[in-house]
Amino acid sequence: MGLVLFYIAGAVTLFGAIGVVTTRNVVYGALFLLVSLAGVAGAFVLLYAEFLALVQVLIYGGGITVVILFALMLTRTAEYEGPGENRRWPLAAAVSIALFSLLAFAFVSDAGRYNSATRSAIDVEELGRVLFEQWALPFEIVSIVLIVALIGAVVIGRAGPEEDEPEPGPGGAAR
Amino acid sequence: MEQAWLIPLYGVIAFAVLALFRGFLPWQGKHLSLLAALAAFVTFWPVLFDMVGRGVGLYHFPRDWFTAGDLSVGWGIIVDPLTVVMLGLVTFVALAVQVYSLSYMRHHGADDPRIGWYYAVHSLFAASMLVLVLADNLLLLYVGWELVGLCSYLLIGFWHERPAAAEAAKKAFITTRLGDVGLLIGIVLLVVEFGTFDIGTIMAGVADGGANGAVVTASAFLIFLGAMGKSAQFPLHVWLPDAMEGPTPVSALIHAATMVVAGVFLVARLFPLYEAVGSAQLAIAAVGIVTVFVGASLALVETDLKRILAYSTVSHLGFMMLALGAGSLTAAIFHLLTHGIAKAMLFLAAGSIMHAMDGQTDIRRMGGLRKRMPVTAAAFTLGALALSGIPPLSAFWSKDEILVAVAGGLHPAFLVALLAAIALSALYMARTLRLVFFGELSRENERVRESPLPMVGPLAVLGALTVGIGVLALPLGGGYEGIGSFLYDAVGGPHPFELNVLWTVVGTTLAVGGLGTGWWLYDSRPDLVAAVRTRLSGVHRVLVERLYMDAAYQWTIDQVVLRVSRGLALFDRRIVNEGAVDGTGRVVMETGKRLRYHVTGVFSDYGSAMVAGVGVVALLLWLRA
Amino acid sequence: MTLVHFELLSAALFSLGVYGVLARRSAVMILMAVELMLNAVNVNLVAFAAFRDIPVATGQVIAIFVITIAAAEVGLALAIIMRLFRSRGSVNVDEIDLMKG
Repeated sequence: MGLVLFYIAGAVTLFGAIGVVTTRNVVYGALFLLVSLAGVAGAFVLLYAEFLALVQVLIYGGGITVVILFALMLTRTAEYEGPGENRRWPLAAAVSIALFSLLAFAFVSDAGRYNSATRSAIDVEELGRVLFEQWALPFEIVSIVLIVALIGAVVIGRAGPEEDEPEPGPGGAAR
Repeated sequence: MEQAWLIPLYGVIAFAVLALFRGFLPWQGKHLSLLAALAAFVTFWPVLFDMVGRGVGLYHFPRDWFTAGDLSVGWGIIVDPLTVVMLGLVTFVALAVQVYSLSYMRHHGADDPRIGWYYAVHSLFAASMLVLVLADNLLLLYVGWELVGLCSYLLIGFWHERPAAAEAAKKAFITTRLGDVGLLIGIVLLVVEFGTFDIGTIMAGVADGGANGAVVTASAFLIFLGAMGKSAQFPLHVWLPDAMEGPTPVSALIHAATMVVAGVFLVARLFPLYEAVGSAQLAIAAVGIVTVFVGASLALVETDLKRILAYSTVSHLGFMMLALGAGSLTAAIFHLLTHGIAKAMLFLAAGSIMHAMDGQTDIRRMGGLRKRMPVTAAAFTLGALALSGIPPLSAFWSKDEILVAVAGGLHPAFLVALLAAIALSALYMARTLRLVFFGELSRENERVRESPLPMVGPLAVLGALTVGIGVLALPLGGGYEGIGSFLYDAVGGPHPFELNVLWTVVGTTLAVGGLGTGWWLYDSRPDLVAAVRTRLSGVHRVLVERLYMDAAYQWTIDQVVLRVSRGLALFDRRIVNEGAVDGTGRVVMETGKRLRYHVTGVFSDYGSAMVAGVGVVALLLWLRA
Repeated sequence: MTLVHFELLSAALFSLGVYGVLARRSAVMILMAVELMLNAVNVNLVAFAAFRDIPVATGQVIAIFVITIAAAEVGLALAIIMRLFRSRGSVNVDEIDLMKG
């Protein structure tokens, strides 16, 4: 039973991922991303990490994907379609296939070395305690990172003097 | 005697002071130099008396300088009869010449503008020569050797605005350099073989016979090569006539009495070496006799007064080398002494004439000068007679010794040549005497007057010595049995004076005969002279062109030396500079040009590279685990 | 299911993300592919945390941090992309080769 659920979650995830890297339409891409993220949330549930699945859906789905869609709308890149791949895609394919082979081979051949059959759950309470006790310092630092990113995004994204948005055309002439 | 090192020190101090401060001193400090020369001469006498008092022999006063590994170098002094004779000669002639220069180096009532430098180098020269003479080890000797060469260069080219003087200075330095290479290699060979620079140790080692024969022989020849350069032996004599471009007092001091005899002194100092290598000694004799003839014959056709004296010096240096080759250190050094005095005087007399005649040196423009310059004439005559070998003048005694030595010590061929040479020497001296001082006084020379006291004084003193110093050959009592008992070499041993009637008579006859013939030819039969010149025009031409030696040297330099140099320069430019140095740079640049294309600017490429790199690292980490 | 299953899922997801980063034309697409990679990492981390005799929370804690940082990064990246779009009129990475040697 669990295995079937795993295969479903896995299929969903991978389907979404393939969609992200294949589609020509960026908005479709964003939506495929959402699907993939949902699949990952499912995987988390299967790993008894419900809190994390929640966080995944909330932040990634509700936050990041929305932000991406906003950005797409604002830059009007959705208004045209071009070939999805850049000029280096064969090399990219080769590299990623090689990488996958390496990883798969490593994982499978090392499979007997540790307990890989039983999975156990972590208490949310336990998680919280660990997070705020052992990992308090990284927590604070990550907070600072968020602030910095926020300020940085505002500064970078701010309207400057060259603010007439030029007409987006196919290819878009660089100045 | 231990303080004999003071003698050169005066000169060193004088040089330093004049070189640095002559701008601030009255008369540019020339009197300081004079004082130093006087002090040196004065200090010589106690040294002489001390040695005589403690017993004539070799005294060695070593002093340590530095040690490098196994090699220990000192700067001590040797005081022996040879040293003492040289000390006396050098200090005396240096003093005389400096006094003479007080007057000679004044033109139109004022000193030469660079008189301070002139005297500075004079002091340095005297000091260097004295160091050379006193040195107890080959390194110190070589230092003195090189320094006198340098001073000679500086003084020959003293009036460096004159291109001829500059060229002559260069020629002197380079020609003697050829010899110096031999000297240096010879010294190095000896040092390597015996492990020390100390002359005494090396000579003892050579006499022992235990050393490597090839090394000893080679170094004997090589060191003689150095002597050939400095002492103007054929074929390295070519620089001496040209050296006459320098001021005449310089010619008197350096190129008659002191520096040029450094070669003779060197062989004398290292005499045990030459007694051990018979072939070298024979070579010395051969070179000597050839030099005698070359000098004498070239003197016969010269028309420049100083050049005649220069060739005469070459000839007499040949006599000295011949004597050494015959095995008689006594004869050679005694002749060095008498010739030095007489020739210095002759040069100073020539200078007196030049000074009176506004720099004229061509003997064809002279004649009858005895009427206007009696002292100079008398001095010159005495010198000419002495060097021709007329008794009882000084050089007669030394020439007699040489004759005896050659008759006893060498193959008869040398003797025959020597006899002919004695006659020839007298011949050219007579010619010179007749053409310069006797005969008609020409109209333009009416106004010539005798030179002032600072010039005439030294002439007179040297004249007296030229007459008198011959007595040193004789046993004078008080334990002195003649020059042979004072100055001798290990083989000959001390030998008291003996009169060898045969050779004395033969020598004197030849000398008188030569003088007489020369006088007769140039006084009464100038037509005969002209006729001979025409009949032997080929020979005459060769002699006038100085045996074409300068041309030969120039050809060698052009064809051989410069060719090799150009080849090497090309190699250096093409292969070393462009190939190795520039080439390295170019390789780097070209490689860079090829490599820059990997920076494509495409983000994807960089990313692929990163992924690939990470993959490789992961693989390696996994394999290690 | 075993740990290997999850590992393989993670590997596949990661490789797809790599392909997307290297092969896509639009900067926004590349950004989304980066998110895929980050998710793959998270899956791996949580799986390692879960398949233990005695479970530890470390894997999940790190995963939380990753998600947080990813969010920050997306914000900044989009700001940059917007800037890029404004100055060039397109976000086509093929055209951004000013560093070409």
